[in-house]
Amino acid sequence: MIILQAAFSGILVGGLYALMAIGLSLTWGMLKVINLAHFGMILLSAYLTYAIATGLGIDPLLTIVATAPVMFVLAAALQWAFQRFRVSEFNSLLISFGVLIMLVQTISNVWTADFRRLGSDVNPYSSGALSIGPLAFPMPTLLAFVTALALVIALELALERTFAGRAVRAFSEDPPIAAAFGIDHRRIGILLAGVAGVTAALAGMLFAIGGSMTPSTALEWVGLVFAVVILGGIGNVAGTLLAGALVGIVTGLVTVLWSPSAAPLVVFSIVVLALLFRPRGLIPRGGTT
Amino acid sequence: MLEVRGIDVFYGDAQALWAVDLHVDEGEIVCIVGPNGAGKSTLVQAIAGLLPVREGYIAVDGVDVSRLPAHRVCDRGVAIVPEGRRIFPGMTVSDNLDLGAYRPDARRRHAEMRRRVLDLFPRLEERSRQLAGSLSGGEQQMLAIGRALMACPRILLLDEPSLGLAPVIVDEVFDVIGEINRTGVAVLLVEQNVQRALEIASRAYLLSEGRVEMAGTAAEFIGDAELQRTVLGIGPEAAAPAVSLHEPADQAIGETDA
Amino acid sequence: MARRTLLALAVAFAVLAAVPWIREPLGVPVFYLAFGALVFFWVAQATSWNLLSGYTGYFSFGQGAFFGVGVYTSAVLSGRGGMDYFLTIPLAGIVAALLGLAVGGVAFRLRSLRGEIFALLTLAVPFILASFARINTAIDGGQGIVLRIPEFPEFLGGFQDLAYLLSLGVAGLAVGIAYVAQHSRFGWALFAIRDAENVAEGLGVPTFGYKMLAIGLSAALAGMAGSVFALQIGFVTVEGTFNLTVPLFVIVMSVLGGRMHWLGPALGALIIVTLQDRLAAQGFEGYSLIILGAILVSLVLLAPEGLMARLRPRLLPVVAAAGAVYLALAVTGVWGAPLDWFAVALVAAAVVAFWPRRRTVAAARAAALGGIAPVEEVEDEDLTDTAAPEALPTPPAERAIGRPIIEAHDLTRHFGGIRALDGISLTIHEGEVVGLVGPNGSGKTTLVNLLSGALRPTSGDIRIDGRSVLGLPAHRLAHAGAARTYQIPRPFGSMTVRDNVAIAIMFGREAASLATARREARQHLELVGLVRHADALPGEINLHERQLLEIARAIATRPRVLLLDEALAGLNPAEIDNAAGVVRRVHESGIAIVLVEHVLRIVNQLATRVVVLDQGRLLAEGEPADVMRNADVVRAYLGRRAHA
Repeated sequence: MIILQAAFSGILVGGLYALMAIGLSLTWGMLKVINLAHFGMILLSAYLTYAIATGLGIDPLLTIVATAPVMFVLAAALQWAFQRFRVSEFNSLLISFGVLIMLVQTISNVWTADFRRLGSDVNPYSSGALSIGPLAFPMPTLLAFVTALALVIALELALERTFAGRAVRAFSEDPPIAAAFGIDHRRIGILLAGVAGVTAALAGMLFAIGGSMTPSTALEWVGLVFAVVILGGIGNVAGTLLAGALVGIVTGLVTVLWSPSAAPLVVFSIVVLALLFRPRGLIPRGGTT
Repeated sequence: MLEVRGIDVFYGDAQALWAVDLHVDEGEIVCIVGPNGAGKSTLVQAIAGLLPVREGYIAVDGVDVSRLPAHRVCDRGVAIVPEGRRIFPGMTVSDNLDLGAYRPDARRRHAEMRRRVLDLFPRLEERSRQLAGSLSGGEQQMLAIGRALMACPRILLLDEPSLGLAPVIVDEVFDVIGEINRTGVAVLLVEQNVQRALEIASRAYLLSEGRVEMAGTAAEFIGDAELQRTVLGIGPEAAAPAVSLHEPADQAIGETDA
Repeated sequence: MARRTLLALAVAFAVLAAVPWIREPLGVPVFYLAFGALVFFWVAQATSWNLLSGYTGYFSFGQGAFFGVGVYTSAVLSGRGGMDYFLTIPLAGIVAALLGLAVGGVAFRLRSLRGEIFALLTLAVPFILASFARINTAIDGGQGIVLRIPEFPEFLGGFQDLAYLLSLGVAGLAVGIAYVAQHSRFGWALFAIRDAENVAEGLGVPTFGYKMLAIGLSAALAGMAGSVFALQIGFVTVEGTFNLTVPLFVIVMSVLGGRMHWLGPALGALIIVTLQDRLAAQGFEGYSLIILGAILVSLVLLAPEGLMARLRPRLLPVVAAAGAVYLALAVTGVWGAPLDWFAVALVAAAVVAFWPRRRTVAAARAAALGGIAPVEEVEDEDLTDTAAPEALPTPPAERAIGRPIIEAHDLTRHFGGIRALDGISLTIHEGEVVGLVGPNGSGKTTLVNLLSGALRPTSGDIRIDGRSVLGLPAHRLAHAGAARTYQIPRPFGSMTVRDNVAIAIMFGREAASLATARREARQHLELVGLVRHADALPGEINLHERQLLEIARAIATRPRVLLLDEALAGLNPAEIDNAAGVVRRVHESGIAIVLVEHVLRIVNQLATRVVVLDQGRLLAEGEPADVMRNADVVRAYLGRRAHA
């Protein structure tokens, strides 16, 4: 039973990883930008959620109204700069690394390096859990998973059904030909980066609801979240959720069966194996019918 | 309706076209022939705005488009069927077609055009939910043409539509090109299959080593010895290579003519 | 010049090593020893990182892992195991090197390894190690490890002096290795990998081996520096060791100092450490990472070539600026201590060096070369082409055809579901010029890729001199005598034309030293008529000349068969004729040639035999004039009439 519980909890935690990974995966796959600053934006969103909810005494879920536009603008501005300076895929990694460090240090200067946590007075979700039979699903991770699921469905639908979504996919497959059919890559790029920024806002908010934060938390996410991006297939939104769940299950089971500190070892071994044998992600798309 | 005047085009710093002139009138089929590497594809890509034009200009209905980005050239009614088809392999057939109608003008006539394209290529309707990458070569070519038609073009640029296709399919493609042309769309056709291209074209240009070597009606081209010599690189100078290697090629050709 | 630099290095090292003994007479406070040790630690880290990431271009975030393994090797063995600390320093290097080789052994075998994937893979390594250290309490003990100060000879002075000397030792070793690497085959192989890895492999550089050597050396140096660092801080924890601080700092330092020059990372380390230290002393600790991040962002965007490249053209103003600022502060004495003045002087120097200016040719050259002098011993030679290209009217057909060199049998290659090549058999004999022609997409370039070992056939066999070379890496095929050129020239962009050729000589069939190779490069440049551009960068010569450089570089490997993949593409008619003359001279020098070409006029003039491909199959073969009149060939090129 404890194993089953660990597996299910793992899936839910995987939802949060997926939420963090979706934006990264989108911009990497579609725009060829590896945006490490994404982690800084998630962290900033988490702190903003904390500050606004605590300051105004409102439900932390409501803070998204403020954080989403801020992150949209921030991410779009960064993408604008990448396009303006014609930054290569590799240099985007270096530059956004610099931006990440700046964001983390700024947050540390404003909120100090102490651990922060939403007080239970403003966070009605911190203690709740949904029980199904003997299994218990803590509210924060459940919320994160449901949000990730909803986001994946919404993004997949947008990519499948809207003209803008098709334009994004076409652009990622063959930029010049997409341009020849009227797609303005700069506008599409900025729009998509902005959407990725909004996913960062969501991830940050849900992280703040679920746990405590300190500036260096952002750096701890980097490894696991990139594992999710690579396992899911770069640019593959639905794959991200599956990979997140997989990483969550593995982490949960290894924690119970072996030791919590062994989890990264197992996860990254899977990533290395995946890179060796399935370089396009666990469930490659586009190759077969 | 399409006028190309004296364009120089570079690939990086390699010059691919030298002072090329060309025009396509309303409702015409014009074909460009020439040996591999003569710059035919370069010319088509330059017209579509995919390559920058360093000298000269390209006008569509009298409006200079040579300095516009590709996504604006498309708005003037130019659609391209690129060499190697370049459909979006990871998207469905249906999505590929819809993407063709991305520009606002075309989006308004989306349903109507889609109907017409699917009537023209019934096979695409059967396969509309399949990924485009899984289609056969011929079907991909149909899709590439269909996608371009969805953009409601006034002039269609076709780059090597018969490349790598079985002869039966080539016939089909050429039939379709004729049909499209009859609906009033002008066609600029680049083709290695010189004979077939000349059969449906009204006029033709011979491109060689980045320059227009010859221009005229299709009838004038058919059976012309010069054409065969240029494309195959044979002629008197091959049998007896007495021509100095240090004379420019176009002069060498001039000499053998004399 | 090389000898003078070495001497200067040795003198600098000796002076720095003497500091513990001359410190007190000169009245230098002991604080400077600790500061120096810190600078040397980062010099060692940044230089060792650069040996891998700067020289090969594979950016690694794994520096923290190599460093951390070194820290823990010493901490566990001496702190918990009671081993003599000094013995653990080399052991730390060895353990770190083994880790480096393991990482490289996995990563460099990935077929689709790109720089970004390598960076992310190495990013994961410190996290894996950290969790490993946490699980195995035998390693960490749960609360961290204390290192005792080892016993050491009395004449060394106090513990500060010891730490200073050890750090200096490792830093000196790292800088020395970086210097030697840059002036040897090893370093040039790495530069070639950075500029164009596949090309380097094709020219005979065993790229996998050199990359492994680089990552092993780099990790060993990082591990030894980590071992010394562990002694300095005396107490190590997992959280304090395996984090992103080390990779962040070494990347910023190397990008700032310049990644292509052996001294660049050391210079960057000096500036960053000094700045960090002074900012902390002034109470701006909270801004140091913001400044570091901003430096990284602006450098990558605006001056990715780094300081060393900027120094060469304006060394005097930079030194003058630094000196003037320091003197002004020292004389007026309005503010700060000597180290503050030094920090401000460094900033002033950097500002002068990076000050934007018009992009002159010299500046562009310096940027591309990264501050490396192209030729260190300027040879007395006249840079004119002596071999005047002559008109070559003789028909080539009567040349003696010798024994077979390359025999390809039933070659097939699929890409996905497409058969790019379908059962091609072809033999290239000594003395031949084989024209390989066919319409677009007929498989010509695929065949060249198979024959040069860049791709493996799906089925079929390739033999050179009767021995199968199937599955051998491309550099082995190069050593067996097959060289190729690329349709779009792919020169090593950061090397001069001469050095492009020299690389090929160094790693070709008969290995040579850099100095010999540079001398011998001339004859190949003469053959193609590029001697007057010997010291130019590939970016400064035109397309035609770059294509000639491709040919010169390929023949410099002393091949027996030269595969020319559309060496005439994009040229104007006069250039085409010149290139044809070059091809003929190459042929006359005794090299068999496979000529893949669209300009059939030239193929007909040069080829002794023509092979026509169509849709991956062999359509016709024979004398040029006959083949071009073959009905099938005419149809393949001109198409057929409708069936109607």
